[in-house]
Amino acid sequence: MMKLVVKILAFGIILFALNQIYKRTLFIDFVDDHADQYLQVDKIKNCDIIYISASSNFPPEHIEENDPRKISQFVADYFPQLQFEAINKPASHAGVYRQLLPLFPEESEAKTFIITMNLRSFGPSWINSDLETALNESNVFYNERPVLFNRLLMSLNAYDNKSAEERNAIVQAHWNDDILPFEIPKNTVNNWCAVEKWGDWKNPKRQLADQFIKQYAFVIDEENQRVKDFDEICIIAKKRGFKVIYNLLAENIETADSLVGKNLTSLIKQNSEWLVNRYTSKGFIVVNNLEVLRASNFTDKDFPTEHYDEKGRKTIAKNIANTLKSIEL
Amino acid sequence: MLFNSLPFLIFLPSVVLIYFALPFRWRWILLLLASYFFYGFWKVEYLGLILLSTTVDFFAAQYISRSENQLYKKLGLAISLITNLGLLAFFKYSGWFLNDVLYPISIINQEQLEGFRTFWDYALPVGISFYTFQTIGYTIDVYYNRTKPETNIFKFALFVSFFPQLVAGPIERFSHLQRQLFAEHRFSYKLIQHGGRLILYGLFIKMCIADNLSPIVDQIFDQQDEASPLQLFAGMILFGIQIYSDFHGYSLIAIGTARLFGIELMDNFNAPYTATSIREFWSKWHISLSTWFRDYLFIPIGGSKVSTIKLAVNILIVFLISGLWHGANWTFVVWGAIHGFAYLLERWFISRNTSAWLKIPQWFVTMSITFLAWIFFRSQSVTDASTYILGMFRSESNGIEIEWNTTIISFLGVFLLSDLAFKDRGFNSWINDKSSAKRWAVYAFLIFSITGFAGTTNHPFIYFQF
Repeated sequence: MMKLVVKILAFGIILFALNQIYKRTLFIDFVDDHADQYLQVDKIKNCDIIYISASSNFPPEHIEENDPRKISQFVADYFPQLQFEAINKPASHAGVYRQLLPLFPEESEAKTFIITMNLRSFGPSWINSDLETALNESNVFYNERPVLFNRLLMSLNAYDNKSAEERNAIVQAHWNDDILPFEIPKNTVNNWCAVEKWGDWKNPKRQLADQFIKQYAFVIDEENQRVKDFDEICIIAKKRGFKVIYNLLAENIETADSLVGKNLTSLIKQNSEWLVNRYTSKGFIVVNNLEVLRASNFTDKDFPTEHYDEKGRKTIAKNIANTLKSIEL
Repeated sequence: MLFNSLPFLIFLPSVVLIYFALPFRWRWILLLLASYFFYGFWKVEYLGLILLSTTVDFFAAQYISRSENQLYKKLGLAISLITNLGLLAFFKYSGWFLNDVLYPISIINQEQLEGFRTFWDYALPVGISFYTFQTIGYTIDVYYNRTKPETNIFKFALFVSFFPQLVAGPIERFSHLQRQLFAEHRFSYKLIQHGGRLILYGLFIKMCIADNLSPIVDQIFDQQDEASPLQLFAGMILFGIQIYSDFHGYSLIAIGTARLFGIELMDNFNAPYTATSIREFWSKWHISLSTWFRDYLFIPIGGSKVSTIKLAVNILIVFLISGLWHGANWTFVVWGAIHGFAYLLERWFISRNTSAWLKIPQWFVTMSITFLAWIFFRSQSVTDASTYILGMFRSESNGIEIEWNTTIISFLGVFLLSDLAFKDRGFNSWINDKSSAKRWAVYAFLIFSITGFAGTTNHPFIYFQF
């Protein structure tokens, strides 16, 4: 029995030593390739204000601009005395952000976080996007477990790694089954899309209208996964004493209105109001940018996104800056 | 449940602990429940088929055993064969029949074909080829009075479903496995040590070799039109190593898992790439399947005690069916045919007792045939495979960007050398000769490799699709 105890102890010591060796040698390169936000946190942990977002922070790649900087950089212009940094990961959302916040060590100086709240990320299309698998893979590293164990979990696919087909089937089921607060034929996404307002499928306007319906026609409630994620962020913020400002992003309401109509825009506004009310009532500031931009400020014309031109990014930055000025930093 | 998954890493120690904590008489029941849980973890629906196969074979064997009339015995055997081969035909080959026969002559249309495909993609049960062959072997053994039938259907169900070897073998014989399943095994450090070592080494070659090679091989085969001849050659060799490390890794984990319960499964591999003839290759590759074909197909159709022509036909039948067993695609038939013809040519024209210096060219020729045949095994169609082979001899092209890394190359070296070292004795026997410090250094190396360098994507074992 004693022999067995000694061997188990020896085994534990070997595991500990291997973890330390891995952490100090190979881990940084590996995590840089597979979960780069882990390293970003470490680099910026002592900044004053941290802007956390997905691709909405970036300037468009296909348009030349006078000032091709990020929203976060425009915000920083208003506070030259403060250190301002951003963590960006395309397609990320509150489910990722809530895992990043605890990575900031207790002793870090970062106390103010601006976290983007993208209305589209609350919809079933984004929640079940096939990009989720890659994000979930990265998420394996966003915790305090031994790094070698995390690396093993990643190899074992010990995360939600549904295939693109499985995720697509889930999205289709939502579009087919989720009941919307409208009369037939607008009672589900699929039925709504079947209304031939813009002619056949080859018409680009019809395709875009369909995408607007698929991305925004849903009703947010407390069971929504993103709501749970933001609720979790609120809990972490309160526990850690972080100032968290939610940045509700601008959506292309004008185009949604012209292509689909008031039903959809009213649903978008109803959902955003629900979010603003929920988080302000919890004591958090929500910068409401939902309707601050015109259609011309959106740079993607064939799909609804939150990618803005220079003017759009500056407008959002100004709104955020004005809010920040009103609170004690 | 995959062996290389978190659920299995939780499931296995739990079952082992409960197994040895239980009184002896309850242990086999635990194994049966655990096996059904293990299999149902994929899809609960799969359990229906294994229950069907188990029930039919149990009663067929009883019927064969009790019948004194030879005709009735044949009827019992026929029921078992028709049921098992029928299941295989329905789930594995009817899709092929629809696609390659009925669709081309317009008996079914594109929409119906897609509908069938969707159904088969969903319904094809994991490991059906393995457990049906295991139960067919059982009824044939009962038919020939080589074994007595099991009288308890639940105990027979455990023989069919024993989870370590359920989904991809080794395909066990009733006489070998059944007495072990119900023998009283005492817990010992040695059991855990020997089983654990095999699992560790199996995980190493699966996760560090096969899973790291997989993206490179996939890239070369998927972009074969742009790959350079050298890259195509590399792709062929790497696939040969990938499928070996994948299946050998699986087999070692299966054998190691069974060993934890005190049960010895048969070895499935013995350094097959050291073979100097196709005949020798088949005595070292997927041993449980090749001996199954020998005992239950080759010998019953006449074996080698027949005329030269009949022998050639028998050998070709075995290799073609062996190819077809792997899947419903002409590529597997061609793969089997290449091995079959090579085996015949070797038997007719090459003396077995050659001098030592001839072994090297013989090894080279054997490996050339084996690796060339792997191209058919890996390709989606015979046309793809032919294009691939032609590409290996075309004039140089620019090639594709492949992410080679030194780690995988180092692992390949370790794997091939260790395969030579473990030849004819196995990993456990090899490591038992080492000092305690060396043994722990090997464990540390394997653990560090698995945790730090395994492929970042967990690929299901290749043989799970068969």
